[in-house]
Amino acid sequence: MSDTARADASGTLPGDLMIWVLIVSELLVFGAALGGFMAVRTTDAAGFAAAQDHLDRTAGALNTIVLLTSGLFAALALRACEVGSRGRARLWLGAAAALGLVFLWVKGLEYAAKAAQGIGTETHPFFTFYYLVTGFHAAHVVAGIVILGLVSWRDNVANIENATAFWHMVDLVWVLIFPVIYLLR
Amino acid sequence: MKYQTQRIAQVYFTVALALFAIQVIGGLLAGWIYVAPNTLSELLPFNIVRMLHTNSLVVWLILGFMGAAYFLIPEEAEREIHSPMLAYIQLAILVLGTLGVVVTYVFNLFEGNWLLGKEGREFLEQPLWVKVGIVVAALIFLYNVTMTVLKGRKTAITNVLLLGLWGLALLFLFAFYNPHNLGLDKMYWWYVVHLWVEGVWELIMASILAYLMLKLTGVDREVVEKWLYVIVATALFSGILGTGHHYYWIGTPGYWQWIGSIFSSLEVIPFFGMMAFAFVMVWKGRRDHPNKAALLWSLGCATLAFFGAGVWGFLHTLHGVNYYTHGTQITAAHGHLAFFGAYVCLNLAIFTYAFPILKNRDPYNQVLNMASFWLMAGGMTFMTFVLTFAGTVQTHLQRVMGEGYMDTQDQIEVFYLMRFGAGLAVVIGALLFIYAIFVPRREVIEPGPVERERIEHDPDHVAAE
Amino acid sequence: MRVWADNPLWRAWGGLMALGALTTLAAARGGQVAAPVLGAAILALAWAKARLILGRYLDLDRAPAWRRGFSGVIGAFLVLLYGIYLIPAV
Ligand code: HEM
Ligand code: HEM
Ligand SMILES: [Fe+2]
Repeated sequence: MSDTARADASGTLPGDLMIWVLIVSELLVFGAALGGFMAVRTTDAAGFAAAQDHLDRTAGALNTIVLLTSGLFAALALRACEVGSRGRARLWLGAAAALGLVFLWVKGLEYAAKAAQGIGTETHPFFTFYYLVTGFHAAHVVAGIVILGLVSWRDNVANIENATAFWHMVDLVWVLIFPVIYLLR
Repeated sequence: MKYQTQRIAQVYFTVALALFAIQVIGGLLAGWIYVAPNTLSELLPFNIVRMLHTNSLVVWLILGFMGAAYFLIPEEAEREIHSPMLAYIQLAILVLGTLGVVVTYVFNLFEGNWLLGKEGREFLEQPLWVKVGIVVAALIFLYNVTMTVLKGRKTAITNVLLLGLWGLALLFLFAFYNPHNLGLDKMYWWYVVHLWVEGVWELIMASILAYLMLKLTGVDREVVEKWLYVIVATALFSGILGTGHHYYWIGTPGYWQWIGSIFSSLEVIPFFGMMAFAFVMVWKGRRDHPNKAALLWSLGCATLAFFGAGVWGFLHTLHGVNYYTHGTQITAAHGHLAFFGAYVCLNLAIFTYAFPILKNRDPYNQVLNMASFWLMAGGMTFMTFVLTFAGTVQTHLQRVMGEGYMDTQDQIEVFYLMRFGAGLAVVIGALLFIYAIFVPRREVIEPGPVERERIEHDPDHVAAE
Repeated sequence: MRVWADNPLWRAWGGLMALGALTTLAAARGGQVAAPVLGAAILALAWAKARLILGRYLDLDRAPAWRRGFSGVIGAFLVLLYGIYLIPAV
C-alpha cells in the first residue's frame, strides 16, 4: 500500500479527538515530571550522577528497542486492519502486546536489582523521580497491553486506530524519559 | 414546564435557598467572631458556627444539584420522573437529618456518643445516624433518577450528570471510615472532600452548565457535547491524582509532592475549558433568550470558578509554595472563591433559569436578580482579595519570620474587619436574590430583536423555555 | 526485502533503531566529550526519535500542521531541559 493513498492532506488529527486530549495530557504530565527532575538535579548534580550510575543503561537501551519495535507492530496492525486483513491485524496486535510484556519483564528485573541494593523511593531524590516516572510509564504499558487485547477482540479500524495511538504515545514518552533519566549526566 | 414532575425541583430549590440564607448568615457571624472574639463564646462557640456555615453550604449545594437533576432529567430523557413520591420521601429524610444536625451542634448534645454525637472531621461532622440517613436518601435519589434515564432518551448531559451524582454518593462512603492513625484519617477524608469538589462535582457542574448553554444560547447539541466530553476527561485525568496536593505534609511518602504538584496544576485546564466553553457558546449562540439573569449567573459561574478554583488553586498548589502557605488565610481565600464561583453560582444559575418556568411565568425581577449577582460576586471577590493579602502577610510573619500564630493574628486584624464588610455585601446580595426569585414584580427586561421576532412568528412560544 | 524498504513504517523503524544506536554510542563516550556537547547530542537524538514517532507511527504526516505543532513544542521543551541541564555546569 502506498503512503499517498492514505494522505488526505485534510490536516485533521487521525483518530478520535479524545485520544488526542489524552495524549496531550500525558505529555504534559511526563513533561512536567522531567522538568521537575532536571530542576532538582541543579541542586545536586554530583549526587544525581552518582545515583544514575546505579541504573542499568543496557537494560534501558534494550527496552528502547523492544518498545519501538512493538510500536512498529502496532502500526502494522492498523494498516492490516485498514485493508481488511483481520487475521493479520490480530497477529500484529498480539506481537505488539507480547513485546510490551517483554518490556515489563526487563523493567521488573531492573526494579528487583534496585530493591536488592536497598534502593527505594526515599533513598535519594534521583530515585524518587526514577521510580515515579518509570513506574508511571510502566503502568501505561500495562494499560496499553490491556487495550491492545481489547481491540483485537473488538477489531474495527476506529478502535485499533485509537488503541495504537495510545501505544505510540507510550513509545513517545519513553524516548523522552530514557535519555533524560538514564543518560544525561 | 413540559413535564409535571419537574415541579419536584421547586421544593428542593426552596429548601436549598433557605439553607443558603442560614449559611451566609452563619458565615457573617463567624466573620464577626474574628473581629470580636468573645461574641457568643459561651452560647455558640466559633467552632460550632463554623460547622454550621460549612455544613449547610455542602447540604444546600447538594440539594440544589438534586433539584437540578429532577428539573432537567425529565426534559433530557423525555420522561416523567420515575417516582415523585420517592423524591419527596428522600427530601424529607434529608430535611430531618439537617434539623438533627443543627440541634445536635447548637446544643452540643450526645458528646462522644458513637451513634448520636457529632464526629469531628471538617465538613463531615454529622452524627453517624445522619450519615446513614444521607446514604439512604442518596440511594433513593439515584434509584429514582437512574430509572428515569434508563427508560428514556440518553444524552451526554444526563450521562455525565448521572456519573457525577453516582460518584458523589459512592465517595461519601469514605466518610464512614475513620482510622485512628491521623495520617490515614486525613488521607481518606480527602477522598471525600477533594474528590468531590475537584472530581465528581466538576462533572455535575459541566453537565448543568452544558444544559444551561444549550437552552440559553441555542447552540447545537453536538457542539455542546463535544465540549462536555473534553471537559469531563480533563477533569478526571487531573483531579484524581491531583488529590496528591493534600498529601504533602501529612506523613505520606515524598513522591506525593511531585504527583500532587503535577496533576493538580493540570486541574486548571478543565476550569479554563468551562470558561472558554461558556463564552464560545454565547458568542456562537443564535438565541436571544429573555432570561438574561440566568445567562449572567452562568457566565459568572464559569469565570469565577476559573479564578477561584483554577487561578487561586494553582497559586498555592505547588509543594514548594504550599510548604509556606498551607492552612493560612490563602487557603480560606481560595476555598471561598472556588466554592462560590463553581458551585454557588452554578446553583443560583439553574434556580434563576428554572423558577420562572416552574412557576409558569415570564422571568420577572431580572434587574434585582442581576444586582444581587453583582453584590455577591463583588463581595466575594473583595473578600478573596482581602484574605489573600491577609494570608500573604501571615505567611511572611508566621512561616518566614517565625513569629507566633497569635502574634501574627493580631497584626492582620484590619483584614478581618474588611472581610466582614465584604461578607455583609454577600449576605445582602443573597437575601436580595431570594426576594427576587420568590416575590414577582413586573417584567423589567425587554426581549431583544431576535427574540421579538421569534415571539411574533412562533405563537406557541413560551418566554422562558 | 524491497517491500520492507519501501514501507514507510519499516523505514521509520529502521530510522529509530539507527538513532538508538547513535544514542548508545554517544552515551558510551561519556568521559571523553565535554558534557554540554554530549547533552546536546543526546537530546537532539531524542527529538529526532520523537519526530519519527509523531510523523509515522502516530501518522501525523497526514496532518502536517499538527506534526509541526507537536514536534515544535517537544523541541522547545527539550531546549528548555538543555538549558536547565547546563545550570550546574556554570
Ligand atoms: C456563598 C458564600 C460562601 C461560601 C461558598 C463560603 C464557603 C466557606 C468555606 C468552604 C469555608 C471553609 C474554608 C476552609 O476550610 O478553608 C468557610 C469558612 C468561613 N467563612 Fe465562608 N463562605 C461563604 C460566605 C461567607 C460569608 C458571607 C462570610 C462572612 C464574613 C464567611 C466567613 C467565613 C469564615 C469566618 C470562615 C471560617 C474561616 C476560618 O476558620 O478561619 N463566609 N466558608
Ligand atoms: C471548585 C473547585 C474547588 C473547590 C470548591 C476548592 C475548595 C477548597 C477548600 C474548601 C479547601 C480547604 C480545605 C481545608 O483544608 O479545609 C481547599 C484547599 C486546597 N485547594 Fe482547592 N478547591 C477547588 C479547586 C482547586 C484546584 C483546581 C486547585 C489547584 C489547582 C486547588 C488547590 C488547593 C490546595 C493546594 C489546597 C490546600 C491548601 C492548604 O494547603 O491549606 N483547589 N480547596
Ligand atoms: Fe484539592
